[in-house]
Amino acid sequence: MRQYFLSFLLFLFASLSLCVSSVVAADYHEQLVLRPLPLSALLASFNFRSNTSLSEFEAHNFRFFPRSLGQILQHAGTRELHLRFSLGRWDAESWGARPWDGAREGGTGVELWAWLEADTDDEADKKWRTLTNALSGLFCASLNFIDGTRTTRPVMSFRPEGNHPNSTSTNTHLLYGVLPHEVVCTENLTPFLKLLPCKGKAGIATLLDGHKLFDASWQSMAIDVRPVCPADGECVLEIEQTIDMVLDIERSKRPRGNPIPRPPPGHELLCDTSKPYHADDTCFPADYNANHDWMLSQIFGKNMKGICPLTNPSVPPVCLQVPGSRSVYVSNGVLEKKNADGVSRCFEIQPDADLEMVLPRIDPPAEGEPAQSVEVQELVKPETPLLYAERSFTGHGQERGGVQTILRNPSPDSEVEFIYMETLPWFMRIYLHTIEARIDGQAGKQNNLIEEVYYRPALDRARGTQLEVRMRIPPASTVFLTYDFEKSILRYTEYPPDANRGFDVAAAVITILSPDTHKSDKRGFAAYTLRTTSLLCSLPTPDFSMPYNVIIFTSTAVALAFGGMFNILVRRFVAADEGPEVSISGLKQRLRSRLGKVFERLQQKTKEVKVQQKKD
Amino acid sequence: MSARRPTDNGMADDKTNSTSSSAKAEVAVEAPTHAIAVPIEASSQRKAPPPEKPSDIRRRTWVILTFWAIVVFLGLPIWWKTTTIYRANLPLSEMLEWADGKACRPVFPLRINIQAGPLQEQEAQHLVRLTQHALDDLNDFSGHHLRLQLSSPSSSLTTPASNDDDNGAALTIRLAPGESTTSALDPYAPILDITYPPNTIPSPSSSSSTLATYIASQLRSTFAEEQATISYLLSTNAAAPSGEQLRPPGLTPEVAESVSKRTTRSLKYSPTYHLTFSLFTSGPLPSSWDIEAAIAEYMEPVLKVLGPIHNFTIDTQVQLYATPGGVQSQVLNKEDLSSFINAAEWPLSPSIGGAPTVNFIVFVGNQTIGSPSETSEATSQSWLIPQWGTVYLLSLPHDTAHLTLPTLKQPLLTFTSHLLSLIGTPQSGSLPLRLSTLSRIRSADLLLRASSTLGSLARLSLALPSISIPSSVADGVSKTMAHLRLACDTLGGAEGLAHARIAEAEAERAFFEKSMVGQLYFPDEHKIAVYLPLLGPVGVPLLMGLLNEIRAWRKRRRERAEKAAEKKKE
Repeated sequence: MRQYFLSFLLFLFASLSLCVSSVVAADYHEQLVLRPLPLSALLASFNFRSNTSLSEFEAHNFRFFPRSLGQILQHAGTRELHLRFSLGRWDAESWGARPWDGAREGGTGVELWAWLEADTDDEADKKWRTLTNALSGLFCASLNFIDGTRTTRPVMSFRPEGNHPNSTSTNTHLLYGVLPHEVVCTENLTPFLKLLPCKGKAGIATLLDGHKLFDASWQSMAIDVRPVCPADGECVLEIEQTIDMVLDIERSKRPRGNPIPRPPPGHELLCDTSKPYHADDTCFPADYNANHDWMLSQIFGKNMKGICPLTNPSVPPVCLQVPGSRSVYVSNGVLEKKNADGVSRCFEIQPDADLEMVLPRIDPPAEGEPAQSVEVQELVKPETPLLYAERSFTGHGQERGGVQTILRNPSPDSEVEFIYMETLPWFMRIYLHTIEARIDGQAGKQNNLIEEVYYRPALDRARGTQLEVRMRIPPASTVFLTYDFEKSILRYTEYPPDANRGFDVAAAVITILSPDTHKSDKRGFAAYTLRTTSLLCSLPTPDFSMPYNVIIFTSTAVALAFGGMFNILVRRFVAADEGPEVSISGLKQRLRSRLGKVFERLQQKTKEVKVQQKKD
Repeated sequence: MSARRPTDNGMADDKTNSTSSSAKAEVAVEAPTHAIAVPIEASSQRKAPPPEKPSDIRRRTWVILTFWAIVVFLGLPIWWKTTTIYRANLPLSEMLEWADGKACRPVFPLRINIQAGPLQEQEAQHLVRLTQHALDDLNDFSGHHLRLQLSSPSSSLTTPASNDDDNGAALTIRLAPGESTTSALDPYAPILDITYPPNTIPSPSSSSSTLATYIASQLRSTFAEEQATISYLLSTNAAAPSGEQLRPPGLTPEVAESVSKRTTRSLKYSPTYHLTFSLFTSGPLPSSWDIEAAIAEYMEPVLKVLGPIHNFTIDTQVQLYATPGGVQSQVLNKEDLSSFINAAEWPLSPSIGGAPTVNFIVFVGNQTIGSPSETSEATSQSWLIPQWGTVYLLSLPHDTAHLTLPTLKQPLLTFTSHLLSLIGTPQSGSLPLRLSTLSRIRSADLLLRASSTLGSLARLSLALPSISIPSSVADGVSKTMAHLRLACDTLGGAEGLAHARIAEAEAERAFFEKSMVGQLYFPDEHKIAVYLPLLGPVGVPLLMGLLNEIRAWRKRRRERAEKAAEKKKE
């Protein structure tokens, strides 16, 4: 009886613990959203999110939260961390609004901002240095090069995403650093995947592969760590890892072993059949290859293996955003569920099933129908972003230059208010008085566009320029924001090895404020974020053999001056026929006589030796 | 002499000038024969320049001397000042002395209290004297010295712990009358209980006693391991520079081997250790464990005991889908064990903050270890990786999702015992004795380490004359030596350990000074490229001017001498 009871207890305990673990497992979820974009592109957004309670975190017990990152955060006193690795350019004109409203992407290169707990600015700087050095080791990136010249403390552009109940503005410091020159590559992806609880071994992360990710037209890897305090219950520390990539379907479909593009055979050519001269033997290639058929394994190079068993079962692991009418074939063990909005569907996957997804080509429209309908059937029309931004250099020459940003508000009826932030290297000395904004089509500058400017001038070799501008753009108008700058000349050792390539200037961050911005709600702060492309600033570059040239040149000058002067002082001047005669024949004779002497002496010596030998 | 050669005739060089007037006449006689051969030369007959004014000659001398004075007294010092490498003065000979072990002979005077209990004062004194004699006869290693003392009766009333603090005794012997001669170590305090039959008490006149010999041999066996370890440490350090492994006289090869095994296994000394407990599974389960409770239950007591010597920080992690490296067979042999840790994929990065990390890994899988007899330390489920940590293989049913406290008991107990050997605790004796021995071994170790670092620094600065030595290095060296001296004087106590620790840290900091590595390589070709373009064109006229001037000066002197001689003749 007692034994029975014991075993029953054990069973209870085991089932309880199972229960507990399944409840705790809800602390992790992952989701992949696929969205075909115009111009035969495919946006894949991977999102992984895990939680740990703050008490567990402070007791150094790590479960889903990666220990390697957790230790760094604790060591550097970091309250909230945002790290971005990005590559490529988001083509807003054709792809529309950015994923996550731009909140999970960075400018080209590496971007890092964090809220650190420190009492003084110096302490914050010290912790920031610790943080960048440690992250640099963890992610195999040159984050340790984020020094004082690349660090700023933004005032208006960023607000914490998490809840910081115990913090005040005096003891939390926001620091922002950016490395536009950094090339993001596979060595950054591997540690990124290692932070996931299921690694890259199960679930949607199995699709991630360096070859495909870094072949994408645009990609952004993001890590966000923030404390979240729900209204009821304990505060948790949330880590969110996001990868967004835009794949070119056609390029991705190339077989891996044979990636060289070749002209397709005649029968596979896509022709524009609307041309009058279209016939069997003439073909006008279609603009772009719309209407692609694709398979998941083709695009990503491999299948998705099962699902991560830790993931929250209520969140479907894969979703696809195509019109509801489009047919999608999936493999066995996968259940398709169409959402009510008619433009997205999600897939439930059995734990041990592999996901394969096929989107067949849509049949060409019947004769007479407009060709556009294919596109309507194929993809969901992208949303229009709130703002378009382009930034470029103006001016010419090696001394002065200018920056021009073209900001376009596409909305016909609502104005856009945003903060434009630039972090410029110290060797670009901007002239703040030249900053001006003007509306396209209206002469003269408009003083009412710029509402507020925060400017922190650069210090040579110590600090970069920080410029934050709050602006408002009226509906359906384009604004040119321009300013001039002067390029300074660097010291010889400050040039990088590839100095002639130019110096990367970090992307400008544009934070669009949501209309009800003045509430200090964290979600209500930024409605949309976008970043311009980074710029390449060419500075006057010296010839790097210069020091030796300078040495030789000055030495020659000194030698000429000195030699002349010294000889004038020291030599005696006599008439030409009085001085010693110098001629080639004379030199020859002299040389011959000297040699003769030496020769004679040698002969004598050998004779003496011979005589001695004879004597012996 | 040149005048005799007709070929030298046309050359109006210094030599012809320098010859006496009689020689000139000779040349004049021979000249016409050549003048016919070269008619153009003959037409422009060389004229001797008019004699120079003495003031001009003097001025030229002054000019040349002034230039040289500027070069020597201004140029050279500036050049020397600007290109010299700052080398702080290091007490090289003293540093090398430390490294060779000449500066300090580590001596561990261990005091041992004897509580004689019911014995008469005189009898007890005699017993102590005899035992001391016996001990001195047994001891062959001077560095480790046991000194007996009779504790006063009043102190015997106090507890052993406070007694320990009072006079720093390493061990207390409690004598008590009994049936036969026995000894037993107290498991919780450094006390050796010895019972003796009443008849074995030596009479004041006798010169030997079985009891005294017995106590001495007991003491010796208690401290045998410590003595072996310390003498091993000393011998390896002394032999290190010459490269040969000298076996100290008192050690048998077997003992030396076991001691060396233990010292290579143990981690470098550090005041703080990070303990990382990791649960690795090759699949998705189990994903949680009761590690916090298990640590509190099975490990915390030992950590508390180690508290005075080391601090510990603890973190835990769970890692799923972690496949072991190397061969994927079910039975692991010795070769597989070394490649089992999958360093590329397992997130076992050392903790940041400087302190060394000890890794304890529970690996859930059904692998077993084959032939455990070969590796003595490895049981059938776990093995110890020297200076790194421990791996414990735990085989579980497939659907286990959570590791409970009872499942973790065995792994945690294994980890605890491995932790002790990883931080270098000796294996024999009671726990308090082992720990006090540990602190003595550690201070000896640190002392020797700091000394050998000093020696390396000295040798480095001798071997690389072009390396710069900033003053911070000299500072560190002097601090190290001061603390080494203090540590050497107070060896065996807690103070000695503290000083040795500071000395070691300072020595390491001095040796790994960043700025010393910076411009180590500045090739000589660069110096030539920088100096030659300037020194060549400037140096040649200066040098030639000086040489000409010296030559002219000598000529003038000779002429003057000849004139004087002629005058005398006249």
